[in-house]
Amino acid sequence: MTSGLPERREVALVTGAAQGIGAAIARRLAARGALVALNDIAPRPELDELAAELGGITAPADVSDRGQVLAMLAAIEQAAGPLSTLVCNAAYMTMSPLLEHPEADWWKVVDTNLTGTFHLIQAALPGMRSRGGGRVIVVTSYWGVTGWPDATAYAASKAGLIALVKTLGRELAPDVIVNGIAPGVTATPQLEVDAASAGVSVAEVQKRYARGVPLGRIGQPAEIAAAVAFLADPAVGAMTGQVLQVNGGEIRCRA
Amino acid sequence: MTAQLPGQPPELPGGMPSPRGVALVTGAASGIGAAVAQELRSPGWRVAGFDLRPSACDLPLTGDVTDSAAVTAAVARVTAELGPVGALVTAAGYYEMIPFEQLTPEGWQRMLRVHLGGLVTAVRAVLPGMLELGAGRIVAVSSELAIGGGDGDAHYAAAKGAIIGLVRSLAAEVAGSGVLVNSVAPGPTDTPLLDPDSPWRAPEYLATLPVRRLAWPAEIAAAVRFVLEEGSFLVGEVVSVNSGAVI
Repeated sequence: MTSGLPERREVALVTGAAQGIGAAIARRLAARGALVALNDIAPRPELDELAAELGGITAPADVSDRGQVLAMLAAIEQAAGPLSTLVCNAAYMTMSPLLEHPEADWWKVVDTNLTGTFHLIQAALPGMRSRGGGRVIVVTSYWGVTGWPDATAYAASKAGLIALVKTLGRELAPDVIVNGIAPGVTATPQLEVDAASAGVSVAEVQKRYARGVPLGRIGQPAEIAAAVAFLADPAVGAMTGQVLQVNGGEIRCRA
Repeated sequence: MTAQLPGQPPELPGGMPSPRGVALVTGAASGIGAAVAQELRSPGWRVAGFDLRPSACDLPLTGDVTDSAAVTAAVARVTAELGPVGALVTAAGYYEMIPFEQLTPEGWQRMLRVHLGGLVTAVRAVLPGMLELGAGRIVAVSSELAIGGGDGDAHYAAAKGAIIGLVRSLAAEVAGSGVLVNSVAPGPTDTPLLDPDSPWRAPEYLATLPVRRLAWPAEIAAAVRFVLEEGSFLVGEVVSVNSGAVI
């Protein structure tokens, strides 16, 4: 079928790809033939191993640092050509009651999640347009839809991403299509952090989180990755500015 | 993944999805329903179509979705000839624009009976089998107009909005039993439902859409297939493929 994208190999950048949801997204896009650039905040053995396994390239950078983002995009374009797909997945989270949240850390959350995505999209756009268009998929969060106690910075940054998706979904179409995904609780290494801070086992944490989910379980990274693959499908160009809520039915709020 | 999770089809070695089962598509004779039937057949679903007219699929059945006896009989035939219905896609519907003050009770009633009633009759017919199997997928085609509303669309938007309310509620009710219920909400789509002189086809209107064009039936069908085949963590969700008409 016809589409807005030229018949060239998909080149995808996935940020925060060393583990969890980002790693699953990288695997999924590589499995359908994309050349994947795997980003994480710094070089890590896991990133090298996954890039080698997927035949991709590593692209370490701190997405909150504009200079690093611009240099990363330049390096990817030199090695692989301009991006067809940008998946903004890297995120930083701190849990803290509002009054106790240090200002510097508040801004680190916002600078990474929201402003990092701003840097990434600005840096990727000229290349995407040079190849006739592209897809941007932003991984936000259901906490950005509902809000969450002790997660003001994170929820605000993720809600900001939802508004960014809606705005750029209008502004950049029809050549560049922008959509978001708001995952519910997903089985990632973050659960180990949560388990440690709650002083319980990972299995117990999974059980607690699953209680609020109509489906009766939390999500798997591959299920989030499948939704990313759908939103990056060149055959579907009529969906823009939307936020898919992949959450097992956990929330009844709209993005 | 090794363990089978609720809502997820069993996997074959290598992570490939299991062979596709039987899908029942209402409104399969034209437009989005026909595109869905075609989209599902190629990867191996066995597709039964139910429409007023015969459809291009493995088992074309004819009847009216508002006739619950006919729908129940159709599901029995599908089950006997193809096997238990693993996926239901409700695409049967029609579209007309009527100013609210000119809406007759009959026109209002018919719109609700076909869209909301058509979903209810089909769900009532397939749900017991899905619950028995502990697995099933239901995708109801709603509309962007259910979310955004539209001038002259009160009865259509009300009917499609009711579908979304039913989908979210039923989804929460049966997710724990392995049956996943979701919706796809198309925007204006290039189907026979839109007359050649429909305002939704006017260049001035299309120019207001971020994507600048109508959606294609194949794009809606791709979204339906995604929800059916890979939406194992989607519950009560509305996937809006609407050219950016409602964001």
